[in-house]
Amino acid sequence: MMAISPPLLFMDRNLLARKQSARLDKHSDLGWKLFGKAPLRENAQKDSKRIQKEYEDKAGRPSKPPSPKQNVRKNLDFEPLSTTALILEDRPANLPAKPAEEAQKHRQQYEEMVVQAKKRELKEAQRRKKQLEERCRVEESIGNAVLTWNNEILPNWETMWCSRKVRDLWWQGIPPSVRGKVWSLAIGNELNITHELFDICLARAKERWRSLSTGGSEVENEDAGFSAADREASLELIKLDISRTFPNLCIFQQGGPYHDMLHSILGAYTCYRPDVGYVQGMSFIAAVLILNLDTADAFIAFSNLLNKPCQMAFFRVDHGLMLTYFAAFEVFFEENLPKLFAHFKKNNLTPDIYLIDWIFTLYSKSLPLDLACRIWDVFCRDGEEFLFRTALGILKLFEDILTKMDFIHMAQFLTRLPEDLPAEELFASIATIQMQSRNKKWAQVLTALQKDSREMEKGSPSLRH
Amino acid sequence: HTHLYLFIYLFCVGKSCLLLQFTDKRFQPVHDLTIGVEFGARMITIDGKQIKLQIWDTAGQESFRSITRSYYRGAAGALLVYDITRRDTFNHLTTWLEDARQHSNSNMVIMLIGNKSDLESRREVKKEEGEAFAREHGLIFMETSAKTASNVEEAFINTAKEIYEKIQEGVFDINNEANGIKIGPQHAATNATHAGNQGGQQAGGGCC
Repeated sequence: MMAISPPLLFMDRNLLARKQSARLDKHSDLGWKLFGKAPLRENAQKDSKRIQKEYEDKAGRPSKPPSPKQNVRKNLDFEPLSTTALILEDRPANLPAKPAEEAQKHRQQYEEMVVQAKKRELKEAQRRKKQLEERCRVEESIGNAVLTWNNEILPNWETMWCSRKVRDLWWQGIPPSVRGKVWSLAIGNELNITHELFDICLARAKERWRSLSTGGSEVENEDAGFSAADREASLELIKLDISRTFPNLCIFQQGGPYHDMLHSILGAYTCYRPDVGYVQGMSFIAAVLILNLDTADAFIAFSNLLNKPCQMAFFRVDHGLMLTYFAAFEVFFEENLPKLFAHFKKNNLTPDIYLIDWIFTLYSKSLPLDLACRIWDVFCRDGEEFLFRTALGILKLFEDILTKMDFIHMAQFLTRLPEDLPAEELFASIATIQMQSRNKKWAQVLTALQKDSREMEKGSPSLRH
Repeated sequence: HTHLYLFIYLFCVGKSCLLLQFTDKRFQPVHDLTIGVEFGARMITIDGKQIKLQIWDTAGQESFRSITRSYYRGAAGALLVYDITRRDTFNHLTTWLEDARQHSNSNMVIMLIGNKSDLESRREVKKEEGEAFAREHGLIFMETSAKTASNVEEAFINTAKEIYEKIQEGVFDINNEANGIKIGPQHAATNATHAGNQGGQQAGGGCC
């Protein structure tokens, strides 16, 4: 089920590393053969021969080139790969012999080079070892976390989920194998959607697709106000958008393994909530859920997730309410990052420019998928406020760069974040963001602003000011 | 030396491909979904004057109209794009245009673009229809292909030229940024860097 999860990514990297070293083997193989074929010349310089001998003795190797495999394996420890072969190439016979000092100097240089190379490779080997240890450590801690989640937390969800210990573990990231379960539990099912209801909605969606493709209109008067043309346009759009949902993964596109699931969930939702319908951005949320849950459970989580106040405000494109969310965000923005806030103000960079994409897709379009899943983890724990806290975490992480940019560069940067955004640094940055402003929490600030805007109602709302 | 900044906005469908072709000179058959707004920028020359185009590429779905509506206000020009292989995108133009007229400044230059002119065999909207619509509503019209790059440069540059002519005629108030025109110092980004380091010792002069 887990298409992209940290252990899997590690595995991929492992595979890649193995492939690379295999290629390396081949290379050095070729190299040795090349050198091996060139016979040492009869009148070769004694000195260089002696040096060669010395090194071969030190390495405990016979003078004929050893098998490349063996060689590479040994070198993993301390023998430099790159320089030992140098000495095998002798001075061409047609050139005069080197003077003694020059030979001495060259020998010294050669030795220095070998020492340097050894140092480098030792360092590299140490780095690799450390990396391996780190990977083992991470995998072990994931393994332990899986056990804790499965044996301790999930069976006692109601009593345990808000405990300190669980919250801390949660922040570290939910192991992919239990992620779906935890998300489902945390999102809940306030709407009481059953698998049967999903089947019914899906059946209706399929009927609609059929009738539209045959040009019939039997379901026409079912929900007034949604014309067949609108519905057709939205079905076309779903099709188009599925092809644009995580296109790099190649699993949701036509013919891909998850195409039908994604299509089903979006179609069923338009039948379940014709008043909301399909809105761009939904395909990303559904796709992330599909990667972690079965179709019906993904649908339940999807519908309940979209039913949360913040998501409803956005997906119904309730402009006034969206502006209130942006205003609340700006309160905490100014509180946490006053300098950057002033810089944004000066450049007329309003939060809608970057927040719309981040909030609509819950970061799944703008952040690497495994990192987005970790954001979702804590979003499931903390609710909507974490989405805005994450935004501030991102801004803080790039504060130094952003303060040096003008409007267009900031706008481009924030709507297209760097692809290699480091997860640990981002979470460290988010952790420093205080979601408290003059003793008021997110929900309080938001409610107060909502009250204000209700009182000021009828004023012309606008995003840009 | 100053730069003229023109803000041009893109609306409707298939526009992200147009933008990519104009700014990066490449075509991506499966383009990213635009949610909210994305940005492009390119420098062009008109009458020997360097002009920086700032292009706002807005979400295409009708549901987002209430959001995109608010972006018209700061635009000097707009490109309304439809897909010549899809009649429905042409039919929707009237509502987009009404929106644009209602929420922008009255001088905004609007160019109507029929995109995908390379797909002649799948054409659903005749070129004459596009021309007629443009004539009726006082728009400039052009058919383009983001795929073959045909007319893409022209579409953006002609829009910019039209705005430029209006500025020359004194139609636009260039000191009001709400018109989507801004006169700013060259290399604004690097200037900002220096200003940050030197506490604004010299930076105060040029900006307006």
